[in-house]
Amino acid sequence: MSTIEHTSAERRRDYERSRARRSSASRTADRPDRTRRVRVDASPAPERQKIRFSLLSIGKGLDVPFVLIILALLVIGLTMMFSASYPVAYYERGDSYYYLKRQLIFALIGLAVMIAVSYVDYHYYHRFSALILGVSYFALVLVLILPAQEGGVHRWIGIGDIFGVQASEISKFAIILFLAHWGSRFYDYMNTFKYGILPAAAVLASTAFLLLLEPHYSCIVIISVLTVIMLFVSGIKMKWLAIGGVALVGIILLLWTTGLLTYAMERMDGWGQALVYKDNDQWQQTWQTRNSLYAIGSGGLFGLGLGQSRQKYLYLPEPQNDFVFAIVCEELGLIGAALILLIFALLVWRGVVISLRARDRFGKLLGIGLISHIGLQVILNILVITDWLPNTGISLPFFSYGGSSLLTLMFEMGVILSVSRTSNIEKS
Amino acid sequence: MGANQRLRRRTVWLLVIILALGFGAVIARLGYLQLVQGEELQRRAVEQQLSDTPISAKRGTIYDTNGKVLAQSASVWRVVMAPAYFDDDEQRQFVANRLANILGLNEADLLEDTKQNTYYVSVKRKIESEEKEKIIELQQEIKDKYNKTAIISLLDDYKRYYPYSDLASSVIGFTGMDDQGLSGVEFQYNDELTGTPGRIVTAQNGIQTEMPFDYNQNIDAIDGNSLVLTIDETVQSIVEKHMKQAVIDNDVHDRGVCIIMDVNTGEIKAMATVNGFDLNQPYAISEEQQEEIDAIDNDYLIEHDYAEDPSKLSKTERNKLIEKAKSEAEAAALSKNWRNKAVSDTYYPGSVFKMVTLSMALEEKAVDKDDSFFCGGSYQIYNDKINCTGNHGSQNYQQALWNSCNPAFIQIGQKVGMENFWNYYQAFGFSEKTGIDLPGESSDQFFRYDGIEDNMGPVDLAVASFGQNFAITPIQMITAACAVTNGGYLVQPHVVKQILDKDGNVVKNISTEPKRQVISKEVSEEMRGLLEENVINYGGKNGYVAGYRIGGKTGTSEKLIDVNGDGVDDYIASFCGIAPANNPKYACLVFFDAPLAGNYYGSQVAAPVFASIMSEVLPYLNVVAQYTDDELSKIDTTTGSYTGMSVADATTTANADGFNVTVKGEGTTVLAQNPPTGASIPMGGTVVLYTDQESSSEKVTVPSFEGYSVTDANYLAAQAGINVSLTGQVSSSESKAIAQSIPEGEEVAPGTVVTVTFSTEGTND
Repeated sequence: MSTIEHTSAERRRDYERSRARRSSASRTADRPDRTRRVRVDASPAPERQKIRFSLLSIGKGLDVPFVLIILALLVIGLTMMFSASYPVAYYERGDSYYYLKRQLIFALIGLAVMIAVSYVDYHYYHRFSALILGVSYFALVLVLILPAQEGGVHRWIGIGDIFGVQASEISKFAIILFLAHWGSRFYDYMNTFKYGILPAAAVLASTAFLLLLEPHYSCIVIISVLTVIMLFVSGIKMKWLAIGGVALVGIILLLWTTGLLTYAMERMDGWGQALVYKDNDQWQQTWQTRNSLYAIGSGGLFGLGLGQSRQKYLYLPEPQNDFVFAIVCEELGLIGAALILLIFALLVWRGVVISLRARDRFGKLLGIGLISHIGLQVILNILVITDWLPNTGISLPFFSYGGSSLLTLMFEMGVILSVSRTSNIEKS
Repeated sequence: MGANQRLRRRTVWLLVIILALGFGAVIARLGYLQLVQGEELQRRAVEQQLSDTPISAKRGTIYDTNGKVLAQSASVWRVVMAPAYFDDDEQRQFVANRLANILGLNEADLLEDTKQNTYYVSVKRKIESEEKEKIIELQQEIKDKYNKTAIISLLDDYKRYYPYSDLASSVIGFTGMDDQGLSGVEFQYNDELTGTPGRIVTAQNGIQTEMPFDYNQNIDAIDGNSLVLTIDETVQSIVEKHMKQAVIDNDVHDRGVCIIMDVNTGEIKAMATVNGFDLNQPYAISEEQQEEIDAIDNDYLIEHDYAEDPSKLSKTERNKLIEKAKSEAEAAALSKNWRNKAVSDTYYPGSVFKMVTLSMALEEKAVDKDDSFFCGGSYQIYNDKINCTGNHGSQNYQQALWNSCNPAFIQIGQKVGMENFWNYYQAFGFSEKTGIDLPGESSDQFFRYDGIEDNMGPVDLAVASFGQNFAITPIQMITAACAVTNGGYLVQPHVVKQILDKDGNVVKNISTEPKRQVISKEVSEEMRGLLEENVINYGGKNGYVAGYRIGGKTGTSEKLIDVNGDGVDDYIASFCGIAPANNPKYACLVFFDAPLAGNYYGSQVAAPVFASIMSEVLPYLNVVAQYTDDELSKIDTTTGSYTGMSVADATTTANADGFNVTVKGEGTTVLAQNPPTGASIPMGGTVVLYTDQESSSEKVTVPSFEGYSVTDANYLAAQAGINVSLTGQVSSSESKAIAQSIPEGEEVAPGTVVTVTFSTEGTND
């Protein structure tokens, strides 16, 4: 078989082992599978057949480069999060390993979740897309009822004191899933307003409205961009994107005049002005961003060396969270930062490759949506810490401390891996 | 176009947008921040990450000319607090209470301090080791109790000590709270003395505590340079001792000044403004001053224009005014204490200036030995009649100086002429500050005759010729007197001889060249002769010091102010002399501002003090004495020990020592002697030797010496069986005893020493 000739000995062994397993379990051969699946692609209402998965085998196994990239990011992310967090952990928690221990546990759970999820045939999500959207709405409403967190925002659903999940994390996944589902189901009608725009706009608008009440503006930005990406890839007419753009500007203007942007505006007051002293309030407000810039600038080309950051010593508040990459820049310099960004870029590229080779449109759209989310999050996070975007709370995947967001992330990676099991990457 | 193709194409577009635009922008932004703005950002980061603690440099020491310490800095400590580390009010209360007890501070104020959310509050400065030990105990206590170490800390500080307290106080000066010189040499040489403060640069975290990693850069403080003064502590002490006594004896209203200066180098050996102040407590005022301040009442308010009629004011208003008057009086008293009268106050030099006028006249050959100057007791110039102390008749210029005759000097001045007078006035350095290295030097006040702003008239010249109606500083006067006598050179007076670095190496030797030659050597030599003659035979007799060739001139200048409100204008008594007169080494100016005890003549008030000072200072400064036979007989010698010897041996030994012997009692061995061993009596005095117990109870009566001459006093003493030690002006046949150390009528043992002081009556200055 052509696929076997292009693989390593190890993969070949795995493949043969799984083939032996499969042949002993069932008489079904590859060929009928494949022909049937081709038919599935062509048919708008496919009759799908469950694929047996093997852990790493090509075609039906995990995409190894993608897994390696994820592991690399996870290890580097944990290391840097630890490096950034230990002074804060020491001074504020009395235990230098406070954040590392927790994040490590979530990373291990996350890995397990990722592998587990990769086994789940993503086509199941078709039937859950509406349900998950419903859960998303429920969570968004629930946080509004629950008591507010620090800063008067309603974002977290707590489970005890230990674990909390951001309602917006669910929303982001729910919207990607819903749009992937919709886009694949009505792919041929996506160039119409009724199928292409209306449902997506309704979901986006309603979710954005609820997020506005939290408020959580950065998430609105992310889901809006994600919606646009999904619709774009799903094949809507370009004019709708133009119209959407105009509408967006209109909405922002509307919010501007109604004063609902107060929170964001407060945040934005110091936007881009972190290094210029205007008054005490502004100086205090931009403290975190300014110290982030100090950290980044201190790194120079080669950085101060791993663990050598000075800004993490209580100058940069919460260096383990959104601003962890500032410490990365300080310690590893531009070269280190660029290498990490390269790995992120590889992740995005590999995710897109996986998605494009998915067997069906749902897989393609779901994968593209999820991987775009990661890429978007990375870009926005760094624009925030470099003072090109207002400081609105966008975490850096794999790096920022936070159990629920890491679990969500690993879950999403699992979904992409599940897509990879169906795509025959080597075939193209 | 197929649906899948469109999806693929759009996805590739998306990938390009995300990677190229998104990641590209991010990398570009990071590159800009890290490479272009990096340096600036890093500088700002480092600025906040480093804590910069200054280390005080130790202020240099001030030594006298022989290396005795006049001013020194010793280590003390500053207590600082970091109240941000407090957890609760209980801790604050505890620390405030303990600090208040240890440091004697107000507990309520301290409690307020503990509530600040800062890391640096200065609690108390300049605490000494005893308090420091207690603070260290408190630190330990806080550590044990609350497990906190950074709340209280001790920083190095320095405190200035002046071992001789008020000695040369106006010259040395004192320092303020921040170790900065405020007066005297401390102020003038502040930059040399201060040194360079160092810094401890440490990394600190966002809450200003130390970073766990090692980043420490110490820039050591460079201790200040030390100064070696030209002032000699011994000379200064002698000067101040005599000046203080004279200020009391003569009831001097506005303090006295004495300067001793090397006539050839301008080095100031002593400079005293008496009474000075305790340098260790510069803000303390004397009891007398305090009494005056306490006595401030309604009359004072009226007198000093605080209120026209204080009785009309309400009680609170009046008290307010009295408080104001008191605080102003206190400030005035302090600034008066600190003022260095020798350089900051101007006075009319009076007759002392006649040596300058005569020098001009001789240098200009305006007068001749044959010129005669007539004095009829007064001199009429335009509408002014100038009186003289005597009616001197016809004199040559020598006699004019010795008589200190004002009319004669008016004539000499007229011969010099206004323009020459002004030129020499400038040449002698009166029109400019001397430039002595002390702060607060005043300028003269004189009529000008510079062709631009002529305001000197004939009357001005007339009175200026004998030193009236223009004001100069004492330091200008003595500097000019040096020029008159040292061969004509105007020297640069100075008080600092050397600057040493912290290890004692010489950084700079201050030697000053004479500024210019004002008069010729010949004129200077003639002036020395005239001044010596003046001390030997004329108005300066009271300035004579046995064994030394002294030249000098007295001065009694009118202040034209009534300082004590007795309706009579008061005077300044001064004497300026040099020694030895043939080859001058030292000049000394003694000056009393408004002696109120009745006698105000320079010859009566200042000259004897000059003599007392010089009689101690000259031997100390190794100026060799050459006594006349007559003087030798009056010089005190130390008695030996004759006790225990046989009468014959004792008599022989005592005779050999130059004493006469009187034996009392019948014994053969000397059991006791009077005066005792080591007493000072003149050669030829009598030592009484006792050979038994009974005779030692014998007494003699002290006679009155007052009004007797030296010879008579010696005779009287011999008659009474006692010894006299002679002080004051004993060389002149006109001298009369004016005081005795044991009063008349006292019963004393035979041979007891009575000190008798002599003075001449001369008033011609």
